[in-house]
Amino acid sequence: MSRVAVVGVGHSRFGRRTDVSIGELAFESIKQAVDDAGVDRKDIRNVVVGNMGGWSQESLPAVVVDEYAGLSGAGTMRVEAACASGSAALKSAYDSVAGGDGNLAMAVGVEKMTEVDTPTAIELIGRAGSYFWEFENFGMTFPAYYALHAVAHMSKFGTTEEDLARVAVKAHHYGAMNPLAQFQKEITVEKALGSQVVAWPLKLFDACPLTDGSAAVVLASEEVAKKLTDTPVWIRGIGSSSDSANLGRRGSYVGLEAAVRAANAAYSLAKVGPQDIDVATAHDCFTIAELMAYEDLGFCKKGDGAKMIREGQTEIGGRIPVNLDGGLKAKGHPIGATGVSMTVEITKQLRGEAGRHQAPIRKGVGLVHNIGGTGHYAYVTILGRD
Amino acid sequence: MSEEPMLHSRRALTLRFDLPVSKTKEFWDSLRSGKFVTTRCTKCGSVSFPPQSDCPQCMGSEHEWVDLGRDATLVTFTYASVRPPSFASSDPYIIAIGEFSGGVKVLAWLERAKQDEVKQGMKLKIMARVSSEGNPFYVFEPA
Repeated sequence: MSRVAVVGVGHSRFGRRTDVSIGELAFESIKQAVDDAGVDRKDIRNVVVGNMGGWSQESLPAVVVDEYAGLSGAGTMRVEAACASGSAALKSAYDSVAGGDGNLAMAVGVEKMTEVDTPTAIELIGRAGSYFWEFENFGMTFPAYYALHAVAHMSKFGTTEEDLARVAVKAHHYGAMNPLAQFQKEITVEKALGSQVVAWPLKLFDACPLTDGSAAVVLASEEVAKKLTDTPVWIRGIGSSSDSANLGRRGSYVGLEAAVRAANAAYSLAKVGPQDIDVATAHDCFTIAELMAYEDLGFCKKGDGAKMIREGQTEIGGRIPVNLDGGLKAKGHPIGATGVSMTVEITKQLRGEAGRHQAPIRKGVGLVHNIGGTGHYAYVTILGRD
Repeated sequence: MSEEPMLHSRRALTLRFDLPVSKTKEFWDSLRSGKFVTTRCTKCGSVSFPPQSDCPQCMGSEHEWVDLGRDATLVTFTYASVRPPSFASSDPYIIAIGEFSGGVKVLAWLERAKQDEVKQGMKLKIMARVSSEGNPFYVFEPA
């Protein structure tokens, strides 16, 4: 098994991108990633495209994206792990290089969510779980899935609606520093608490938006990475796990057990622990999800997620800065692009290229936590300068 | 940005799915007669909900149907004020997860309850309903 490094990154502007098709949108990231890596794109053996689809017209997004970017001929596929499709693409590309199928691979994440109207998108996301048993008769929505967890967490640990609002305020604070973010405006706790309830206790400002966007990374084997760059960022481990389709089959609703398993696997592969993480991205599709992530990742003990946000422990200057790119909440959440976007962010942080939202890097280790559905899929990736 | 030139596709597609229920027919038939049943593997004894004819614990395919009774306890809930468009004709609804004795948990609407009276640990009973299209389904009500 070869070690594998991220040697090139690309990221589109996130938002309502009615100006571009899926191929054009993916191209923005692919071009940057290829240029950043300094590789000939014809040498990229495998191109894995993370995309959930349903809301966009192209049924075969991988070949459409590859054709547009002149990548046809590479081994390719679209992979789906709901909102973790980007990390699934990263893992597939990583596995191809680590396993010796070529020295270069690319993971592309892309999603065009605004080709349908907002109600249709709400319908499609709500169906992502156990359609037959939990949607057909009961009309689940994505916020409802996380609201079931929020109610359980609030009841067991005393987490409050203000705590949830604090997560949104932090996201918008850093989103305001990210020129590629969908929302670049600060908000207040009062504004978040006063927003429309979507699935009690979650409100509009507890939720990520519908987003179009893309991100791409070029991965290289150790031998090639060292020739290409002086600042490779190594993939130290990708832990993954899953849980039941039906929420009724879960053991508890105060955390995501798949995320705990994925985190433990990633820490074990990377031979590090939560105390070694300089900076992280956590899957904050809803504010409660970020608080549960702190706990599931072992950044604090179970039930102390709200304490971390109250004390500013996940801001720059705190113990483990989280989501300094604005997170899904402010940066936006183009489903299949998010895991790759997070990997781009942590790579930039570890290179010291994150600009206004740069975290202090001490141990040279960063973490990506990317969840699909409501802990249906979980991926935790640990990246390092060494 | 919404003023970008746009081609509004003329090729509309309506998808309506036919969902197989032959292996869970007993569940739906029982529901019509007011009973809430599920599968128990006759090899390893594990009870599954949703019911399934093949056991996820031991992969055995022999099973029997067991009555779960009516009584459950509320584990968690939400009030879905924003609904999918295919539920536009429904009033906003409470979605609850209830746990039966023996540990089976079921997600369903909680009807005939006011949101501010819903509490974790409250006693529920599961009730059969028939949709306007004639399909049986189930909801919780306060016990």
